Amino acid sequence: MIEMILHYDFMQRALIAGMIIGVISPMVGLFLVVRRLSLIADALSHVTLSGVAAGLLLQKQFPVFQSWNPLYMGMVFSLTASIFVDRLRHLYRSYQELAIPVILSGGIGLGVVLISAADGFSVDVAGYLFGSILAVGESELHVIIGVGILVTTVILLFYKELFALSFDEESAALSGIPRRSINILFNLVIALLITASIRVVGILLVSGLITLPVAASLQLASSFRQAMFWSIAFSQVSVLSGLAAAYYFDWSSGGTIVLVSVFILILVSSGKRLMHVVNRQIKSRTHSRHQEGSS
Amino acid sequence: MREIEICVKEELPDSGDFHMTKPVLRMEDVSFSYENQTVLEHIHLTLRAGEFLALVGPNGSGKSTLLKLVLGSLHPDSGNIFLFGSEPRQFREGSRIGYVSQKANSFNQDFPATVREVVASGLYGKLGLFRRMKQQHWERVNQAIEQVGLNDFADRNIGRLSGGQQQRVFIARALVSDPELLILDEPTVGVDAHSAEEFYKLLVHLHRQKGLSLLLVTHDIGAVTAYVDRIACLNRRLFFHGNGEDFSREKERILTDAYGHPIHVMDHRHEENVSS
Repeated sequence: MIEMILHYDFMQRALIAGMIIGVISPMVGLFLVVRRLSLIADALSHVTLSGVAAGLLLQKQFPVFQSWNPLYMGMVFSLTASIFVDRLRHLYRSYQELAIPVILSGGIGLGVVLISAADGFSVDVAGYLFGSILAVGESELHVIIGVGILVTTVILLFYKELFALSFDEESAALSGIPRRSINILFNLVIALLITASIRVVGILLVSGLITLPVAASLQLASSFRQAMFWSIAFSQVSVLSGLAAAYYFDWSSGGTIVLVSVFILILVSSGKRLMHVVNRQIKSRTHSRHQEGSS
Repeated sequence: MREIEICVKEELPDSGDFHMTKPVLRMEDVSFSYENQTVLEHIHLTLRAGEFLALVGPNGSGKSTLLKLVLGSLHPDSGNIFLFGSEPRQFREGSRIGYVSQKANSFNQDFPATVREVVASGLYGKLGLFRRMKQQHWERVNQAIEQVGLNDFADRNIGRLSGGQQQRVFIARALVSDPELLILDEPTVGVDAHSAEEFYKLLVHLHRQKGLSLLLVTHDIGAVTAYVDRIACLNRRLFFHGNGEDFSREKERILTDAYGHPIHVMDHRHEENVSS
């Protein structure tokens, strides 16, 4: 595989894109999951679909936009939606999850209407829906690298504020952490991440890559740092398997990535259960031996 | 409906030493109502530096509302509140106050964080944006963990600790930024009697050793009378504001007034007499 990677440009691009996405999605995903906001990613990815459709429509109608990557339009849409999510959550304080179906169905509705209005596109919309890592183009790779640098910088710079807000928002705000600004910044980061990962996993599976490796890491980690480490490790394994499956078997990269993530999750949680049972067995055995010895 | 009595305007005599120290918190004739329901009426309350004040009262007596006013998340309809001399909404030095909320132990029990990570988060606001934790900050975190007696648990996941231990973690998180005032909202709810007692002892220890001002909001009247300098009894109005001994002497009357019916208080006084 290494030869192939060195040989083909598209493989190099796929590898770089995959590894970047494999680092930044669980990084953001960990904060999303512990704040119980994992579905926000899903909602925003559906909005991105309508953005991409709008971009494709513009390309079709106006030749001026020909050189424009539709992902940029997707980015604009999801950034706008992320601000809406924040507003909606303020509007319905006790129904915070209500923002998710509103944004999600709104996004998919608009996307479907735009696609049907365009009466077919020259590009394959399925590629956006399910991801095709081998098809990452030069301009898309630039988007991914740019977003990768930006997201990593924001997360590293505001790690402690994000941690404090995730653990206990009220106390964090009282202790002087600027809650509003950090939350808005974080929403923007999510929107950027989703746009960048669409090529790799696809709109329908983005939230899988963001949450599944984190879910597996939560089974193992006792500290936040450990959770961060494990979720990035699991996510890298999933992305690289997705790439390999796409290259060797021509399977969907997004589908494989998510399936491998699910498999890791099952493996980790059943491994943990097994360890638990074995430990208990050993404990009860030594305990009964002690009793035998004393009687 | 009960008739609204006129609140005693003059300050009740203080329990001695604190008379001269400057007030950390001062409420002057504060009233507050949600829509049409009056929750607090003409509250006068002073907490001086180095004092341990317990605010007691039945459920729905306005204790939590009073705290929200003090912390600036609500604004009084009338009257003034001064927190370290400034109005709570204008108050920007969050690290001078340590706050342990009633909801503190209803956090996500599966949160992947160690005791040390949680305690450190209490420093982040004071540290400010773009500043990293340095050696001296981590030492301060370890100190705070030691103060609450959790050294052996520093690297444990917080969800694995007992309710009482978790409560201590939150105290450590509040203490780590070296606050001058510690505010505790029903800290012993859901904690067993023995742990609660240990917890109060820890508070008294911190109070004495560091001269920390404490505002404890609780409905556990019996326990606190033994530990605190002064008690304020609240039920929409302030029914009593004085020291523990005066409170004990007139307990029956005050509580009957405040709760609207006679109540029996379990007294768990200790050999160690704190007010002496």
